[in-house]
Amino acid sequence: MPPWSDFEPFIVSGLALGGVYALSGVGLVVLYRATGVLYLAFGAVGAMGALTAWSLGQAGAPGWLTWLVCIAVAAAITLAYGVLFGPALAKRDPLVKAVATIGLTLILYGLMDLLWTTSGGEARSLTLPSDNGGFSVGQVQVDWTQVIALGAGVVITVGTGVFLRYTKLGTAMRAMANDREITATLGVPVRRVEAAAWLGCGVLAGIAGLLLADLVALDATTLTFLVISSLAAVLIARLRSITITFVAAIVVGLLHDLLTPITSLTNYRDMTPFVLAAVALLVMPRSQVMAQSREEA
Amino acid sequence: MGADLSLRNPADRRTSRRRPGRPQLIRIATITVLLLFVLFGFPQLLSLYYIDTMTQVAVYSMVTLALGVLVGRVGLVSLGQVAVLAIGAWVAARLLFATTQPYPVVLLEAGLITMVAGVLIGLPALRLRGLYLALITLMFAGAITVVLATLNFPNGGHGFTGYNGSLVHIPPIRRPAIAGGDPAYFRYAVIVAILMFALVLAHTKTKPGRAWAAIRQSEPAALAAGINTTLYKLWAFALASFITGVAGGVLAGAVHYLYSIGFPTQDSITLLAVTLMGGVYSMWGAVVAALLYQFLPALLNNWGVSADWLTILFGLGVLQVLTTAPAGLADQVPKDLARLGRLLSRLLSRRSPAPGKTT
Repeated sequence: MPPWSDFEPFIVSGLALGGVYALSGVGLVVLYRATGVLYLAFGAVGAMGALTAWSLGQAGAPGWLTWLVCIAVAAAITLAYGVLFGPALAKRDPLVKAVATIGLTLILYGLMDLLWTTSGGEARSLTLPSDNGGFSVGQVQVDWTQVIALGAGVVITVGTGVFLRYTKLGTAMRAMANDREITATLGVPVRRVEAAAWLGCGVLAGIAGLLLADLVALDATTLTFLVISSLAAVLIARLRSITITFVAAIVVGLLHDLLTPITSLTNYRDMTPFVLAAVALLVMPRSQVMAQSREEA
Repeated sequence: MGADLSLRNPADRRTSRRRPGRPQLIRIATITVLLLFVLFGFPQLLSLYYIDTMTQVAVYSMVTLALGVLVGRVGLVSLGQVAVLAIGAWVAARLLFATTQPYPVVLLEAGLITMVAGVLIGLPALRLRGLYLALITLMFAGAITVVLATLNFPNGGHGFTGYNGSLVHIPPIRRPAIAGGDPAYFRYAVIVAILMFALVLAHTKTKPGRAWAAIRQSEPAALAAGINTTLYKLWAFALASFITGVAGGVLAGAVHYLYSIGFPTQDSITLLAVTLMGGVYSMWGAVVAALLYQFLPALLNNWGVSADWLTILFGLGVLQVLTTAPAGLADQVPKDLARLGRLLSRLLSRRSPAPGKTT
């Protein structure tokens, strides 16, 4: 076991990673509750946004513009998918809806590999100005990007909670999570509310893509499959509670990074989401699961 | 689970419990002739490049068959089938290096060990709705990629992992004595695949197949009818894992050398895409899917076209299948051809406005 001081920097990076997973997870849960779609292309659209931002940056565009473009690209793709395929698949099983987003993932993945090929061994990176500077806690250097990542996770979670609780649109989304048909009968513009959920999820995907491209790596495959970590958090929260999603995401991020200094486990740290989710599934009481299935049947 | 991937109108489902009449006999004869042609014609006609490709098609037709059973028969979605294939290949390679057992025995063992691994993964998720199983298998695929990257495939070293990083002359994974050459090994792979297809047929035509069909229609109804849904779901998962494990064993001999980068997470997703495109309700779908997955890339590679276009095509294919053609290409193409034929004959006989769509 390495000394405690070896773990300290990884607490900071783990919290930052957990923050991004949390905001991704919250986006996934809200979209799932509002539309019934588990958006597996979340990572891919974020990667698409981040790579577009990188290209713009190479072309000499100012930083703030590239970040906005990153978020706009992710939001536009997500909204377009939601508007095009949401209604067509609205009455289908959640499993079918989730598999359909795999189609989008593959399209984006192929496009990214075509446009930003990695076969040349060319390494790309996206750095935010917040990487420079920061402060130190004890021996540990903390940069502003990490603060922003964790902060964004907290703000998005709390903000989404407040939004769902107190605004008209949020109430409509919660109503749709309970019953789409009855909500439509009550005069809620179902399609428009769904479109809002898609747009929100897309914006979060863009933010997550931007932050992860800086914190982890700017690489289509890595970013596309980092969604797995958020999916673990979402699964532990049983696709409903954003509070549990937040806590689970922080735990996933933290545990993943804390395993880094332990030599015997460091290679296996990417298994963290799978292991945590599998354990959560095992201890999850069957009664709750069955009740949930009935409700969503 | 309820309304899973099945969108088909129950009215146009073919009655499968017909007595073997003339159409049935013609079908069996056609399949036999086709298989004989594949077994003896292909090695004569094709270049070595395409023989190797067709061996891969035979291997992956077993994998898509297994996935098709899960998705089409039971309504379970696995996003980690390539990871299961990797387990089968790993176990087979380890056994082939460590023992001198005959190849079929190794294939059987690889299948059984993979089956146990698959069941262990499926067990926690099978208690839950289908979406959870899909998610946990996706994470499993990611986890297996990580383990393989660390563990590596056996390369003739010693110890449990059988991997020796400092080995200079890596021995190839052996093939069965009767099938050393590429054409012979191709035939071997096709015969193993035929056996696996027969195994699935034996399941779907009997009690498990009926139980699966009931589960696919409605799990609560199946439960009410006295079907042990967990057992039969687990059974399907075990069967799929077994077949995929055997396929992994065939793959090990086909390629001689296995590398962990050959089984990335995204392949599991692509595999689901082609399986859906091929069609999950018929066994032809598995063959079509394997051709899409292995033959098309080889063809495009020969023509110098980037495989990324295929990835995009598969993505579009998934969306198309889920929105308009749930039974996949295996079902859609014959129907479209028939419709096109009708349209043409109508156009030829009289120039009347045709109401049917051709796509």
